[in-house]
Amino acid sequence: MSKAVALRGKFWTPNVALLVFFMVSAAVFSYFRFFHGFGSVTNLNPNYPMGMWIAFDVACGVALAAGGFTTCLIVEIFGKHKYHALLRPAILTAFIGYLLVGMAVAFDLGRWFYIWHALIYWNGNSVLFEVAWCVMLYLSVLAVENVPAVVEEYKDRVNLPGLLARFNGLVNAFLQVADKVMGKVAVFFVLGGVVLSFGHQSSLGTMMLIAPYKLHELWFTPWSPLLFLMSAIAVGPSMVVFEASLATYFFNRKSEIHLIGDFAKFIPWFLGAFLLARFGDLAWRGALAAAFVPGKYAYAFWVEIALFLIPCVALMNKGVRFHSLKLFLGACSVILGVVVYRFNVFLIGMDMGPGWNYFPSVGEFAVTFGFVAFGVFLYKLAVNYLPILEQQH
Amino acid sequence: MGINRRNFFKVAAVTGAGACAALAAPAEASGPKLPEDAGYGMLNDSTRCIGCKACQTACKQVNELPAEGTLDDRGALYDSPRALSDSTYTLIKMHRDEESGEATFVKQQCMHCLDPACKSACLVGAFVKEPTGAVTWDGKKCMGCRYCMVACPYNVPQFEWHKAIPDISKCTLCHDTRLTKGKPTACATACPADAITFGRRDELLRLARARIAAHPDKYDPHVYGENEVGGTNVLYLTKPKVSFATLGLPAFGYIAPPRLTESIQHGVFKYFIPPVAIYAALGGIMAFNQRRNKLKGGTEHE
Repeated sequence: MSKAVALRGKFWTPNVALLVFFMVSAAVFSYFRFFHGFGSVTNLNPNYPMGMWIAFDVACGVALAAGGFTTCLIVEIFGKHKYHALLRPAILTAFIGYLLVGMAVAFDLGRWFYIWHALIYWNGNSVLFEVAWCVMLYLSVLAVENVPAVVEEYKDRVNLPGLLARFNGLVNAFLQVADKVMGKVAVFFVLGGVVLSFGHQSSLGTMMLIAPYKLHELWFTPWSPLLFLMSAIAVGPSMVVFEASLATYFFNRKSEIHLIGDFAKFIPWFLGAFLLARFGDLAWRGALAAAFVPGKYAYAFWVEIALFLIPCVALMNKGVRFHSLKLFLGACSVILGVVVYRFNVFLIGMDMGPGWNYFPSVGEFAVTFGFVAFGVFLYKLAVNYLPILEQQH
Repeated sequence: MGINRRNFFKVAAVTGAGACAALAAPAEASGPKLPEDAGYGMLNDSTRCIGCKACQTACKQVNELPAEGTLDDRGALYDSPRALSDSTYTLIKMHRDEESGEATFVKQQCMHCLDPACKSACLVGAFVKEPTGAVTWDGKKCMGCRYCMVACPYNVPQFEWHKAIPDISKCTLCHDTRLTKGKPTACATACPADAITFGRRDELLRLARARIAAHPDKYDPHVYGENEVGGTNVLYLTKPKVSFATLGLPAFGYIAPPRLTESIQHGVFKYFIPPVAIYAALGGIMAFNQRRNKLKGGTEHE
């Protein structure tokens, strides 16, 4: 089995300049958001108090970071070690994803300087309380799970620049300890990470159930927590495929299609189970008829279902799974499906009352793009200097 | 206007989940939670309101809220605001019933629910249901996440969209300014038409029923807020020809919205048994698979 190594390629490429452009434009808009209020940047209003930053940056962000716990589940817990090469990139992207979610939450809090209040003021009745705690704990778990890559790269090779050099010994001693401790406790973190993910992935689905008179019946269901969890599990392997495909393309690496094509066999199973539960719930509640009432709700519903159903059927076919482009498109479809599903629950399916409408402003888009760009930037930085991706011969 | 199809299914779903919760905790979810002493509230009799907006002005005075300019963009001219905002906690609006064509003035404000969705939703517990009946907000805790605004079925809590450090604002039932000093709410005191009655909730309910009984021709027999969303401290009466929905008071179910989310949430984390059980089960599967892999001679794992 080959080892993971840092890419050590050229970092400042034109693509990185593009990322920096998005980050800078987000920073410009964030100046207004932080010093002149939400009204100066966003289209949020009294009836649409939560907009794109919550629906995409947080709700979708959490779901799209599900590659971490699903890969952990498949490789570590179900013992499918042949996919081991996919684990480190998945854990890394999950960490970056949750870091961005945390930043996006802070961004969207009107009184962001009180974000630490979640630690000391507890309301166990609040769904958001559970989400906040699980996300905080899971982010910590993911940080720990990324420690082995840092240890492997820098243990006994700590070489800090300039004045920081005097701390070389101290940092190295810390890495030594981390190395020894990790070997013993990793298993608890692996299990803890999966349980925490189960917790908040499902709780995201409970969030909008507090508003029974606002959420459309196509999405308002007591099964929503289970559906959110199942859709997160379904999108996990798709995110792994998506990231691996892009890494292959942008870093000029050899195709990993034999590995990710095989890994993708889980997608139709997970998606199929989700779709069964989704339609089972609609039929059980008698809400299926609403899907055939022409209008924005029904269209949004069918877009969501089509984005899930098409890859579910297509990826059952080996010819599709082991074809780089078709596999990539299938994964994109699942990812878009989850994005549409989250948007349907958090925004499109929410009828927030008469007289008000919401569509994200240029500033909201710019900030969201900035966050995505920052995520890609961090990923490139990490794979360049840490052993994340497998060495290729 | 009755309960339409969409609301019917929602209420049915909520009731179903409520029933599930009832199996686990019969006392908690067996219907609207009506405490014996629900504190104070107000009866807004829309048949008596003359639309003078004295209550609106009194509210602004006691809460020290600025007037809102609505006629030009410099904010120089004052007319009545169109909706609740961070500087308007109560609002008189005229509504016309689509079916009968009859016009009615009605007061809009926080309903001070018995089991408030905003309070259940707030992760830091910044909302408190006071013993007086008022639902108040604590700025020393609030993080400004606005989940309360999503949760409130009446879209009452407001946010200061143009301030760098924004507050959540809404009617406090004059809790700090008057109630705790033994005085009734400012709006009720200011009303010249006796359309707003301040008092204990049970007495207000009796009064409302007495008015309906005395003038069945003038009143719709329903007291809005007695049971809606689990009961509210602010109650409403309307004319027979003007539906409550027309007045911005939709036909909501009788079960408080937090009953569903809290029963799911507490079911999933009951005494931490489910998470611990999943942890143990996954640990077992992991150990089994590691052993099997080792026996097969596979060594490749961390």
